Amino acid sequence: MRYHRIIRLAGITSALALAATACNDTATPATVLPTDVVSVSKRGSRVDYMQEDRFGKPAIATVFISTSMKNAFNTAAPDRDVADYTSAVVNVLTAFGHPNPTGLAAALLPDVQPINTSAPTTFLNGRRLQDDVITAELGLIFRNNAALNDDHVDANDKPFLNTFPYLAAPHVQ
Amino acid sequence: MSIIRRRQGRTLALAFACVATLGGGTFGWLKASDHRDSALLTSDRAADIADVYAFRSPSNPNNLVLSLTLAGFIPPGPVNSDLFFDPNVLYQIKIDTNNDAVEDLVIQARVTGKPGHQVMHFRGPARPQLTGVVNRWLGDDDADADDEGVSVRVSDKARPIIEREHGMTVFAGIRDDPFFFDLGQFRKIVAGQASSFNNPGFDTFKGFNALAMVIELPISRLGNNPNINVWGTTSRPRS
Repeated sequence: MRYHRIIRLAGITSALALAATACNDTATPATVLPTDVVSVSKRGSRVDYMQEDRFGKPAIATVFISTSMKNAFNTAAPDRDVADYTSAVVNVLTAFGHPNPTGLAAALLPDVQPINTSAPTTFLNGRRLQDDVITAELGLIFRNNAALNDDHVDANDKPFLNTFPYLAAPHVQ
Repeated sequence: MSIIRRRQGRTLALAFACVATLGGGTFGWLKASDHRDSALLTSDRAADIADVYAFRSPSNPNNLVLSLTLAGFIPPGPVNSDLFFDPNVLYQIKIDTNNDAVEDLVIQARVTGKPGHQVMHFRGPARPQLTGVVNRWLGDDDADADDEGVSVRVSDKARPIIEREHGMTVFAGIRDDPFFFDLGQFRKIVAGQASSFNNPGFDTFKGFNALAMVIELPISRLGNNPNINVWGTTSRPRS
């Protein structure tokens, strides 16, 4: 139980907030953790959680999974993907006229996001916020078909931050 | 919202026409990247994963940043109470360190408190007791897990609340949805109402928010193999 640490944290943040309020009365409220929400574990309860959704590579897997298969796919573990979903991916790629459906299917499954952490990140080595993953994937699927291989939306509507938490602030109006 | 709500009964045309005969169904890219995923999830937005990101930290190459976004298409303005994190959902980022698509380490998160006063509790990275589709909260089986975790108040305003502890930096709350895509034109193409994307395209996600969790931690905490696989999951207690 880390109650003591939370209380200590609450004390520090309260003091900071009071100090901030003293010189700026529009300061945001103190980030004090309410005492009724400090504990999340009920030790020994051992609740079994059942998977409802999963996400590995952006959009790719969902392109190839029909509506009727969607719930089964979302509630499955990725170590089954090659066995269970290769044929679905190959069928769609074949229908799109892809020259190497088996090869691309092998690159897309299992539906996990690979990253080599010793190299710079750029999709498909991991996924940065600014990576244009849709155009990258449209290119993999539609190749030289200029009508379909780029959605011509190249960047987010708000610039990302260079520091944590990196995602842009929410839209307020 | 109608742009992503209706996904069924759609006829495929042009480049997609032949696909319709294969699976007898429509295809999931009508929503994207994974926003509003399935029949099961359209009514359970707090568990509906939009995207997962994994990248080396721009500010420290020894760190990895992992992010999970959920419940996409949140309009601007005050956050509706039903769009907060769900205390019954176990949020996880799973990490496979030996390329068998089975998680060797997990980072878990659960929220407590009512909307507007929520606190997100992170645990891990740690080896899970159970792998695959049935999981347990790390704190239920590991007496040390709680002491090694980090909790952060959920941010519902523009200014992010951030906590750093045990080498981990964490955030949970509402942010701009970082995803961008001309989903509207894509839907027209799939419906046979258009044969190509526009240039320039229109970002369907422009102006919308999403729930987000962001975790930054030393790469050294993820084992010795630099080649890892990452994915996100949401789970609910077995009913």
